[in-house]
Amino acid sequence: MGSSNSGDKGTRNLVIGMISFIVVVGVVFSLISNRSTSTAAIPATVSEADGYGIVLNPEKTPVIDVYLDYQCGACKYFEIINGGYLNEVIAQKKAKVVFHPMTFLGPESVLAANAAACAADENEFVDMNLALYQNQADQHNTGKWSKEYLTQLGKSIGITSSSFESCVSDGKYVRWTSNVAAESAKADVNSTPTIFINGKELNRDNGEYGNLGKFRAALAAGGVN
Amino acid sequence: MLDKFKMYQPWITLLARLGLGGVLLVAGGLKIGNLQKSAMSVRAYELLPVGLANFLGYVLPWIEIGMGLLLIVGVWVSILGLLGALTMFAFVVAIAQAWARGLSIDCGCFGGGGQVDPEDTKYLSSILRDIGFMLLGVYLYYFPKGKLGMEK
Repeated sequence: MGSSNSGDKGTRNLVIGMISFIVVVGVVFSLISNRSTSTAAIPATVSEADGYGIVLNPEKTPVIDVYLDYQCGACKYFEIINGGYLNEVIAQKKAKVVFHPMTFLGPESVLAANAAACAADENEFVDMNLALYQNQADQHNTGKWSKEYLTQLGKSIGITSSSFESCVSDGKYVRWTSNVAAESAKADVNSTPTIFINGKELNRDNGEYGNLGKFRAALAAGGVN
Repeated sequence: MLDKFKMYQPWITLLARLGLGGVLLVAGGLKIGNLQKSAMSVRAYELLPVGLANFLGYVLPWIEIGMGLLLIVGVWVSILGLLGALTMFAFVVAIAQAWARGLSIDCGCFGGGGQVDPEDTKYLSSILRDIGFMLLGVYLYYFPKGKLGMEK
């Protein structure tokens, strides 16, 4: 009786040990993999101070922060409604605009964000941003956005350099997307698109995301003129 | 009546362990594939400071998996029943306050989560479900000894 009991106890402790091990390893892995790492390669236009976002017109004010996920349907909708005006603001250097491509919708968001960052290095971010939305699949992670597809998409809008091609196919900025995700989490962004003007969020209930007139008014109130 | 309960109690305990343990294991398992989303769903409750919410989002799935596995194999059943019931109670409070404050979020209980359209919220069914699992935890606290458990 005594010996079988101690055998049971040994098995029990072994099982507890194994389960505890799984939990501890999981926790440590999760905490480490969701932190920003300074060793990740980042595009030239990205700075840690701006939450690892892609910065356009760095010297200008006010500051518009755009949090997005390239697979997010509401982000495509936002782009259709307000993207034209936002791109005008960028082109006319009326504001510093920081894009934060988040990746919580899955692996194809990571590939798309990487491709957008590669395009930023070629000074083609705005066009690539638009092209990604124009070619968004109806559902998430359908397999549409492969590295080959994204390379071709870049070519179709005139990004033909070999540096872009290798950047996309090597996933050069994949680790950078974790930094964007970690900083977006710290910024308390819980849905996309989320837009801040000088740190103040657009009013979702008031239709400032879904109405060009209200969007323009909100930007004007934030000092875009 | 009491005799009958005595006879069935170890089996009820087994079912309660598998029920509460199983749901914790599944809930945790569905979240670990997308911890960004997990953290986002905790933040969307707008209940905790951002740093703590993110920490919980990354860590809670593994805690759920650990508690679930331990309950299924049947060790530390009493204390885990109590912890499980407290966890479920915390979920109920979190969901209820989100509902009361008029937030439009998915509970994020089984992955997913974050803001949703107001007509897509499922607060009542989530609360009733979690109260059910809370009662299983309470039962295990009082009747931890059951069939096929490692604890003797």
